Amino acid sequence: MKKRSAGRKALYIILVVYAIITVIPFLWALSSSFKTLGEIVSGSINFIPKDFTLENYKQIFTREPLFGRWLFNSLFIATVGTLLNLLFNSMAGYALARLSFPGKKSIFIIILAVLMIPFQVTLIPNFLILKELGWLNSYQGMIIPGAVNATFIFMMRQFFVNFPKEVEEAAAIDGLGRFGTFFRIVLPLAKPALAAQTIFVFMAFWNDFMRPLIIMSDMEMFTLPLGLNSFKGQFISYWNYIMAASMVFTLPIIVLYAFFNRYFVKGIKFTGDK
Amino acid sequence: MKMFTKKERKEAGQGYLFLLPTILVLGVFVIAPILYAVFLSFHKVELLGGATYEFRGLDNFLKVTFDDRAIIALKNTAVYVAVVVPTQTFLALVLAASLNAGLKGQKFFRVVYFLPTLTSSAVLTLIFMWMYNQNGLINYVLKIFHLPTYNWIGDPDVALIAIMIMNIWATAPFFMVIYLAALQDIPDSHYEAAELDGAGAIQKFWHITVPNLRPVTSFVVIMGIIGTFQLFDQSYIFSGGSGGPNNSTLTVVLLIYQYAFKTLGTMGYATAIAFMLAIIILVATLIQRKFSKEESLY
Amino acid sequence: MLSKKWLSSLGITSLLLSTILTGCGNDEESKSGKTEIVLSGWGGNPVEKKLLNEVLADFEKEHPHIDVKLNTINDQYMDVLKTRLIGGTAADVFYLDAFEAPALIETGAIEPLNKYVTDDFDINDFEKPMIDAFRSDGELYGLPKDYSTLALFYNKKMFKEHGISGPPKTWEELEEIAKKVTDEEKQVYGLGVMPQIERLYYLAESKGGEVITDGRASFADDKVVNAIQPIVDMHIKDKTAATPSEVGAGQSAGEMFGRGKAAMVVEGNWNIPYMEETFPDIDYGTAELPTVNGKKGTMSFTVGYAMNAESEHKKESWELIEYLTGKEGMKKWTSKGLALPTRKSVASELGFDQDELRKPLVEGASYATVWQDGPSLPIVMNNFNNQFLSAYLGDRPLEEALQDAEKQANKEIKVTE
Repeated sequence: MKKRSAGRKALYIILVVYAIITVIPFLWALSSSFKTLGEIVSGSINFIPKDFTLENYKQIFTREPLFGRWLFNSLFIATVGTLLNLLFNSMAGYALARLSFPGKKSIFIIILAVLMIPFQVTLIPNFLILKELGWLNSYQGMIIPGAVNATFIFMMRQFFVNFPKEVEEAAAIDGLGRFGTFFRIVLPLAKPALAAQTIFVFMAFWNDFMRPLIIMSDMEMFTLPLGLNSFKGQFISYWNYIMAASMVFTLPIIVLYAFFNRYFVKGIKFTGDK
Repeated sequence: MKMFTKKERKEAGQGYLFLLPTILVLGVFVIAPILYAVFLSFHKVELLGGATYEFRGLDNFLKVTFDDRAIIALKNTAVYVAVVVPTQTFLALVLAASLNAGLKGQKFFRVVYFLPTLTSSAVLTLIFMWMYNQNGLINYVLKIFHLPTYNWIGDPDVALIAIMIMNIWATAPFFMVIYLAALQDIPDSHYEAAELDGAGAIQKFWHITVPNLRPVTSFVVIMGIIGTFQLFDQSYIFSGGSGGPNNSTLTVVLLIYQYAFKTLGTMGYATAIAFMLAIIILVATLIQRKFSKEESLY
Repeated sequence: MLSKKWLSSLGITSLLLSTILTGCGNDEESKSGKTEIVLSGWGGNPVEKKLLNEVLADFEKEHPHIDVKLNTINDQYMDVLKTRLIGGTAADVFYLDAFEAPALIETGAIEPLNKYVTDDFDINDFEKPMIDAFRSDGELYGLPKDYSTLALFYNKKMFKEHGISGPPKTWEELEEIAKKVTDEEKQVYGLGVMPQIERLYYLAESKGGEVITDGRASFADDKVVNAIQPIVDMHIKDKTAATPSEVGAGQSAGEMFGRGKAAMVVEGNWNIPYMEETFPDIDYGTAELPTVNGKKGTMSFTVGYAMNAESEHKKESWELIEYLTGKEGMKKWTSKGLALPTRKSVASELGFDQDELRKPLVEGASYATVWQDGPSLPIVMNNFNNQFLSAYLGDRPLEEALQDAEKQANKEIKVTE
């Protein structure tokens, strides 16, 4: 019994220490965002600001009136992109798992091969293709090329392969067609897998830096990471502003996570053995 | 018989209908670009002031041999992968195992640990740049413990290490979650049996947790390899796009970006490097696979 | 039945989506028959931004048929500009640094301007070195909007405390003063140094060596190495100079100076408004850079307005450039002293040649070296700066570092061919 509690203590120490390591950068950023420029420049190390001020938050929104727009752009691109991914990846995964048709195997192999191709290979040609389509500096230029994701098609296929056939058979008896079965019965039951996918895909869109960097040219079309980098370029030594902006950008995703958290761990199944 | 083929045909139609968006998107934005990239990589491409393509054969692939920056970028990237992948994998495993021990407050820790993963790399890089400041928080903490301080951003010897620390910190929790999901599938009975044999926590970790997680580890390592080879955002923001100081944060992907959009007339070369990167990643993944298979023979 | 419902709702969604998507772009000329032209530049500070907006408002008042949309690029300006030129999404008119001009002109992406220039425009009014920076084979590709040279900024209070009567006249004097005022304990140094070729180029060529010869790097030449050695020695041997990042002042010598970490820095006109805004309490003066071997020298940086060769509104774009670099536009733009006017008439009208702080900068224009040296200069700069930093930090001898950098630069130039 004694040994056990000692082990427990050790575990707690690991967990707490690492929690501190995780939280400190955020607290430091948060505290800096409430400091005056004078305090930032003085280089003093204190987590509680001497002159607590909300001025930085006010300033960033007045000095950079496009903040709201960037937030909207990021939300729009990430939301639409995620919805399309959820739909398309599940449809593809379902077809590959459940339907039989000629060419299925080769399509599956192509998708697996695509999984291995780093996106840098296609980055430059993609830029040129978007140029020809006239999709540079547009939402569709950001969304459509990323509307499908080979990794998650693969993941959804694994999920549907393990999905009990009886459910669908029952639906068929009830007179639902293939599409009805898929949308009304199968998709709702795939919620955990979809929840995990939602977070991953949303995050990928939300955090994407390189693609908007080359695709978006009007400042009105910037996404948050790009806008933040541009903001940093403009206010390079105003760390109080930069940290305030960073905090503003971090909030929405934390809210989303809080919302989906309970599905999260359950839904991750990359390595199905079947 | 006729009915059957009709049904078959219907199902085939449905199959393709379900796959249509995937085929379209992958066709236009992955397959076609790959073919286009092959074309570009054999040409000198200048797209400014009216596009010109000049056939150069294998020139672009051979240039790497005398392009020291490419070699530096590859070396930096390799070092980065070699340090970050094992460290973040091990850290993720330890954290997941600790979290899975059924202690109170588990949920709380899980939420806290996941914060870095949720934050965009642009934001994280800025927060760390602020902490890495000469008079910043990290040097302050080092001073308290009487450790040497560094000019983290400006000193070529430590700039890449600074990015490594940041990325291990940021990605380990992501893989931790994947481990956590897998840990829940290990039956408690395994552990109970080991306990009866008198195994301690550490023995249990090495003899039950680690072997049971081998397939997941394999996945985590492969994802890690793919992700780390593609390091770009952090280097770009850290060095203002240059890969400095003294090329110390130059990565292969940053180099590709520079040759594509910074230097004029080297877009073809950039594509050639991208192909070579793809091959390197593929080989690294295959090697990893081979290793993990050999291990599981024991 | 149900599936149809799904499909139709999907159809409606995508329909909505496409209207949103297309609705967002391409409504340029429709409203009120005005032509919209886009102007791109880097952000600059808030005062600069406001000033530019005022000048643009004046322009729009005088040219009611034109709407100017300002689209600033705040980070990595040239890379982003090139990306957009390739993508065909670049602005009609944009800032072009003289240093980047030759390479871009070579590609044909910049509209030649000779055919637009009229006698009224009075092109001979421009400082010759600055406008020549945008010429290639007699054709003009840009008009310099402003410039700055480098001058010595010195902290009067620190000078007084150490009994120093005035700014150094020669480089040797500067080294002596630096020794006096340095206090390593407090991280206070005599000279704040940006270890970069763009600040040192004039010095590098002061002993007859050349940084670039026939498009190839040649700065490992003894003459160049010897000319720069004193800068390194001040840091390694005398320990009387340091970079801003060594004292936690980021990448800005101005910040280092403002925070009292350096008694002297070599900076340009931009540092005057910066000091006024950020460190108003520092009492400082400016002087022409100290002579090297009895010769005066400094750098000059200039930026011009250039036109996109693919612009669809060339006539209107020229009207904008003509206004911005004309006497009236330039006067307004440089009136706050944020940058020096490239038109001689404007400079004397605004009295910058008499201004106490700016006089040394204006004086420098006549003997300054313009920061420009053919298309390969960006590559040379990168390699020089990377290796020079390691020499400056004392990791390796300067000559060895520069030899490596030269080799590397020439390989890289070969890669781009």
